[in-house]
Amino acid sequence: MAAQAHFKVGMKEIYLPNFTLVLKRTPSQPPTSASFLVPLWFSKLDLRDYLHHVYALPIGPHIRSYVQQSRIRQGQTKDPARPQSKRWHRPRSTKRMTVELARPFVWPPEPEDYKPWNREENRLSREEQEEMQERAGMTADAMAVPEERRVKLREQARALLEGKQKWRPGGGRIVEGLGMYQR
Amino acid sequence: MHCTSASLLKINLLSSSSRASALPPSFLLPAFIQTSPFSSNPSHNARKDHNRNRGVSALRHTGIGKNQRLSVRVSALPQPVLSPARRSAVEVDPDHGLWAFFPKERTRLSTPEELNMRGRGWTIQELRAKDWDDLHKLWWTCVKERNRIATGEVERKRLGGRFGMYGEFEAGERLKEVKGTMSGVRFVLTERWYAWENARVQGMEDEEVDLYADVEMGERAYVPSEEREDAFSLGSEDDARSDRTRSLPPPAVSRSSRDVRV
Repeated sequence: MAAQAHFKVGMKEIYLPNFTLVLKRTPSQPPTSASFLVPLWFSKLDLRDYLHHVYALPIGPHIRSYVQQSRIRQGQTKDPARPQSKRWHRPRSTKRMTVELARPFVWPPEPEDYKPWNREENRLSREEQEEMQERAGMTADAMAVPEERRVKLREQARALLEGKQKWRPGGGRIVEGLGMYQR
Repeated sequence: MHCTSASLLKINLLSSSSRASALPPSFLLPAFIQTSPFSSNPSHNARKDHNRNRGVSALRHTGIGKNQRLSVRVSALPQPVLSPARRSAVEVDPDHGLWAFFPKERTRLSTPEELNMRGRGWTIQELRAKDWDDLHKLWWTCVKERNRIATGEVERKRLGGRFGMYGEFEAGERLKEVKGTMSGVRFVLTERWYAWENARVQGMEDEEVDLYADVEMGERAYVPSEEREDAFSLGSEDDARSDRTRSLPPPAVSRSSRDVRV
């Protein structure tokens, strides 16, 4: 900020702006390039000015920007107690800008162990949940029998046909305390 | 190249002379001997094409032309290092501006515990004591912190994959404090402005106050009514007003705070 700007600074002074800038990861770009998510009303001149005054970042002569349109989606009911009509709408588009840096910058490496964020447990519990919902849910009959159950059924059928097992009503489950009903 | 009928006939004769029967009939012999071009203009031979780059196009992938002479031989071109493992590490400047988008420890992602290690936001009572420069600096500190949190959130969502990772709640709480501080700064500045604006309007309406006085030149901004020369007394009402001993004491609650328009 103390350094002289390498471009002509505008006359308008802005003191308390209220927007967020996000630095994006660009692994396919060289380290001399950086990409940002900017507000939709932002211009290339705004970005150049912002990076110079706030982050003291000298950037190359050209900035590339593009606006990405969002796909149409339905509304989300975040509070199950207050359901909303899920109207189809297109959320606001996002604007991305890529700049060329004077000095290269490489992102710090990804964390090796995700334990502090509990990623593995999250994944396992959610997978199990999804499986249970599939098996016990409303669409369970309409959906195909899962592969593991198919294999087990095949084995059972083969055993019964070959005479290795005898069919018993109740699925062979022995309930404790009801021994007189056991065959 | 231009063809005369003679050259065509000669070609034909030569090609057909290999076969056994081939000689042309005698009535055709004049065609081979007496020849003249159709045009009476002098024939121009093809000029040498001094354009070495003719037919050479990068867009059409024609490749290097026959007469193209480049500054580098194709065999001497440097080979790019395709595998990222073999590339040399890039040295990042420790004072790079983009480090401000990452946490203090310069890791890619803050753990939920690191996000929790924070104080509370500024209260309005604390902010009221600060001057403009301090509030301005605080605002920008909050802006940079908000950018940092947002960058971390985008990265956390990406690394979490389909099932997500912890950290959303902690980041949200941290962001709440930052936003609270920013709204406090805005509130205090607005309050200050309204106080100033009300005082200014009162000063404009008040006869004793001269807002256009140049204090450095010695003019007085406040001139009490008894010292004023242009205020001429009309009767007993004005005497009562200007007589300090007879006037009522000022009210307990000041007018300015009651009239504050917020």
